[in-house]
Amino acid sequence: MARAAINALPRAVPRQCTRLVSTARSAQAKRPTAPSPTKFQSQPYQPLVQRRFKFKTVEEAKSRYRSGPFSWKAGLLFVLTGAGLVWYFENEKKRMHSKRIAESNKGVGRPKVGGPFELIDQNGNTVTDQDLKGRYSLVYFGFTHCPDICPEELDKMATMFDLVEQQRPGALNPVFVTCDPARDGPKEMKEYLVEFHPKFVGLTGTYDQIKSMCKAYRVYFSTPSEVKPGQDYLVDHSIYFYLMDPEGDFVEALGRQHSPEQAAKVILDHMKEWRGPLKTR
Amino acid sequence: MGLLSGIFPASEADKRATEVRTGAVAPSRAERQKCWEARDAYFACLDAHGIVDALKDDKAAARACGSESAGFEKDCATQWVTYFKKWRVQDIQKKARLKELEAQGAQKMDVNSDFAPRS
Repeated sequence: MARAAINALPRAVPRQCTRLVSTARSAQAKRPTAPSPTKFQSQPYQPLVQRRFKFKTVEEAKSRYRSGPFSWKAGLLFVLTGAGLVWYFENEKKRMHSKRIAESNKGVGRPKVGGPFELIDQNGNTVTDQDLKGRYSLVYFGFTHCPDICPEELDKMATMFDLVEQQRPGALNPVFVTCDPARDGPKEMKEYLVEFHPKFVGLTGTYDQIKSMCKAYRVYFSTPSEVKPGQDYLVDHSIYFYLMDPEGDFVEALGRQHSPEQAAKVILDHMKEWRGPLKTR
Repeated sequence: MGLLSGIFPASEADKRATEVRTGAVAPSRAERQKCWEARDAYFACLDAHGIVDALKDDKAAARACGSESAGFEKDCATQWVTYFKKWRVQDIQKKARLKELEAQGAQKMDVNSDFAPRS
């Protein structure tokens, strides 16, 4: 054991090694001393050829061969670096974790969606954001001339609404807002929505009212600019369901990737977590 | 319906169909359904003849699927016809791209759109 450690000493002090080995052998408990001045002096004058034979004895050379390129310094460096890295990553992991918790509690990053509005429903009655409060609201934007996506999504919304109604009757307002106020008046909205669900609330208004509503909900929509009277056109618009809580704050956006069942579950889960007052029928 | 109820209601139905075609009124659920069926029949014909872009290859499309095209244009609003033809091109491109990505070993992921903080 002691021999192995000694043999593993770096090459810088080969002479000391030899000494140690020889002293240990002869059982002379002498403290290792610096190499003798004569030997030290003679070192620079050693012929180059001799440098190839670093070991004095065969035994020493064999032991050196066995231990390979490893030395206690390399080992120590390896262990220290490893320990350092482990400590650093553990620390960093803890820091990130607590940071994440703090941030989620602060609630930063929740987008500001929604806000006050004043529109008219399919029966010609004025509806404001205050009328929707007290219940959750599921808000969808579209237009009655929509070729494929809106009707599909509205059918989905009807299923979603029925599923929520089964468990929490009257706790959800299903709201459809048109992005095409020029063509979708209360009469058109009424005819359109009754085919999807009799309880759907359809909102329309002037172009400016709809524009500010869409802006508040961060809904993108574009009506073609050069439309002649009587000319048909399509409206490009965002296709998310916006779930708003009973205080009118945005909760979550439900998209095409949610099935009606999944979406209804999401809504019901939010209702379960709601601690404030929630109207029912 | 139109067959049984004489000349006047038939012209009424024609009027309604024209209004739907020009976009004067929004189609009802039944009219939408009819349009989608006509569209699917037309697209099936285009598929059978290997036509991707019915707007660009309009002559080939008219030659191969003339009757289906007439049905499609009769039952759908003109704007919808153009929209669906464009949509078909994009859909074919999208499917091809997805196939390509899948062949390259890409993995499909469900995109979640909620903004709720995760703990």
